[in-house]
Amino acid sequence: MSSVLFDAPGPRARRRIQITTVVAVIAGAALLWLALRQFAENGQLDADRWAPFGTWPIWRYLAKGLGETALAAVAAIAISIAAGVLLALGRLSPSRWIRLPSTAYVEVVRTIPALLLVYVVLFALPRYGLDLPLFWKLVVPLAVSNAAAFAEVFRAGIRSLERGQLEAGLSLGLTRGRAMRMIVLPQAARRVLPSLISQSVGLVKDTSLGFVVSYAELLYSGKVLANYNGLLIQTYLVIALIYLVINAVLSKLARVLEERDVRSAG
Amino acid sequence: MEILIEHLGDFGDGLLLTVELAALALVGALVIGVLVAALRVSPVPVLRAAGTAYVQILQNVPLLVWLVLAVFALPDIGVLADLFTTSAVVLALYQGAYMAEAVRSGINAVPVGQGEAARALGLTFSQSLLNVVLPQALRTVVQPLGTLAIMTIMNTAMAAAVGVVELTATANRVNLAEAQPIWIFVSAGLLYMALSVVVGLVTGATERKAAILR
Amino acid sequence: MARTLLAIAVIAALSLTACGGPSTSPSADALVAAAPVAASIVPGTTMEKIRKRGYLIVGGSLDAPLLSQQNPVTEQIEGLDADFGRLLATYILGKPAVEVRSAASETREALLANGTVDVILQTYSITPKRATQVAFAGPYYNSGLVIATRKDQTGIGEPEDLNGKTVIAGANTPAIPAIEKAAPGAKILTFGSAPECLQALRQGRGEAYVQDEAVLLDSVRRTPTIVIQGKPFTSDPYGIGIKHGDAQFKQFVNEWLRTIQASGLWAKTWKNSIGTVVAGDAPPPPAIGSAPGSE
Repeated sequence: MSSVLFDAPGPRARRRIQITTVVAVIAGAALLWLALRQFAENGQLDADRWAPFGTWPIWRYLAKGLGETALAAVAAIAISIAAGVLLALGRLSPSRWIRLPSTAYVEVVRTIPALLLVYVVLFALPRYGLDLPLFWKLVVPLAVSNAAAFAEVFRAGIRSLERGQLEAGLSLGLTRGRAMRMIVLPQAARRVLPSLISQSVGLVKDTSLGFVVSYAELLYSGKVLANYNGLLIQTYLVIALIYLVINAVLSKLARVLEERDVRSAG
Repeated sequence: MEILIEHLGDFGDGLLLTVELAALALVGALVIGVLVAALRVSPVPVLRAAGTAYVQILQNVPLLVWLVLAVFALPDIGVLADLFTTSAVVLALYQGAYMAEAVRSGINAVPVGQGEAARALGLTFSQSLLNVVLPQALRTVVQPLGTLAIMTIMNTAMAAAVGVVELTATANRVNLAEAQPIWIFVSAGLLYMALSVVVGLVTGATERKAAILR
Repeated sequence: MARTLLAIAVIAALSLTACGGPSTSPSADALVAAAPVAASIVPGTTMEKIRKRGYLIVGGSLDAPLLSQQNPVTEQIEGLDADFGRLLATYILGKPAVEVRSAASETREALLANGTVDVILQTYSITPKRATQVAFAGPYYNSGLVIATRKDQTGIGEPEDLNGKTVIAGANTPAIPAIEKAAPGAKILTFGSAPECLQALRQGRGEAYVQDEAVLLDSVRRTPTIVIQGKPFTSDPYGIGIKHGDAQFKQFVNEWLRTIQASGLWAKTWKNSIGTVVAGDAPPPPAIGSAPGSE
């Protein structure tokens, strides 16, 4: 669509584009300069406030936090994908006793904030004698909440397949379960791979709730670091940058896969 | 149960703040989303790049990091607003990136012929976008907008982590005072569900009205 | 599963303290070097269980400057609570082998009850109410809440002056009920950590900030525009949390506290943390069993 809204630019249009470009670049630079000046006036650009972030021990510490982020994310992704597949199959099951609970789970959990679930695991469960280790206090609520999201992704993938795929499997004499497992799911998973990755990026971001749980992932490590050196702004800016780079790479991966899929399908 | 009745006022205040946050953030996000989506389909490469950069930067950093940065870093560059305003603006900017993606996919879903027809009538880029493409695009994205609205409601909970006493923070505070977690958290969960059900109903009704039969 | 620990801080004898206190303060190593070791350990006790395991598990914090703050460079945990943890480990094991598990304020009772941690050393104020669920050794330090303001703030000296003001406090800290009691007309604004509270006070989000004196001392030292107004207006005797009903272990820890108080090691430990920001000699240590709830 975007390509038909304007023609290949002629001489006048090219001139206009050039002018807009210059104006936009100047406006952007002016904004950036204003922000930097404000930072500088408040002493936030002083070299000694940034120097710690040029040292190896600080990066080693943040890298460790990043490692814990990855660990928590991988665990939560693995659990919620497994649960998501089961829930998606459950929602499509011919049996009402499986379909209804699966549907209820997905519809209820989809509307509950992850932070509320974190508070439940953090403050409510220990009162009833269930005090999970710190790692699981972060991973369990994330997995519970993301399982519903993954279930919807898989369900969309399964439903996007032609019915004939399942029917062909059944007519070959496969049971419904085997036809699902051997024919439908592999194709559906391939189709929803980009959505799986973007949902996973969301989950990586959700691990920042370790900040609340005091699990030493990246953001909590930043908190401890900021507490130690008092450089709140610098520390959190660096943390934001790390998240940006990592998630941008993952998102890029999703887009590459999507394009490859579109090409191979076309 | 008495705990809930005793703290009815607290829950009411928390719920109100959650609704206000979500409503402000959604309206803001819609404006930002349309603007950024327009940038991303514009003929000027720099503007397209700026739109893409906005979406990438906002979407790839956790909301909690943005909130912490805005609440504590912005005052040091000369912007000091109260916690509620700061959280609402951050939420609007964050959801705006997602809204931009939804609107752009809506623009891409409008049949190419519509754009070609607009251009053939001699409309300029902005005229065809504003008068022909966007109105149709927004109609096709009612469902995604509903999903985004629910996501926004859920994300308002993050404001609890920077000191805004909305629904989630209220639940936590009441629980700390009364130590009756089950009732308190279940009620908070039910209130969130109720909000989402309302959004779902509104979305459904709007979609039926806005649907374009082709 | 090994990753379920928040932080493992097995302190080797070689590790150094890179903490930025005055050079006159003895380092954490020197404290450990001077630490007493228990003469004998009765079989079948919690102490023996810890000795068999080879390290002491402490429920504590990583982000409480001067008390229990992780140094990101050395990854050693520094401060008063951390030093006492190492000294207690040395008393039981003969070496300062400590594993710190992060404890949220609301889950400390549960952590002790189900045996996840041996002791809690985390600004754990002794109260009769808590004493129904946990046993307290100590008190090992007396602190209290103080009020901090910006330098240019006038009219705040006493807790009553907080009425009608916006007061900043750490989320889930004892400051919140204390403010509600002393100044019911105050509007309370909470943040998750001490630097966030301090930043908020500096930026004018509130007129005052109420926090434990030991925590605030460090903040004030680093922020020249903030001052402490008046004296502590509450008394918070910190205790060492122990599993409810474990009288033997409590008695053992109290004996250790008496030993280090008598030998002067308690004062040296104070000098190494709080003493780096407070001039003068260490205060007299609190009498063991003096706080209601620690009898």
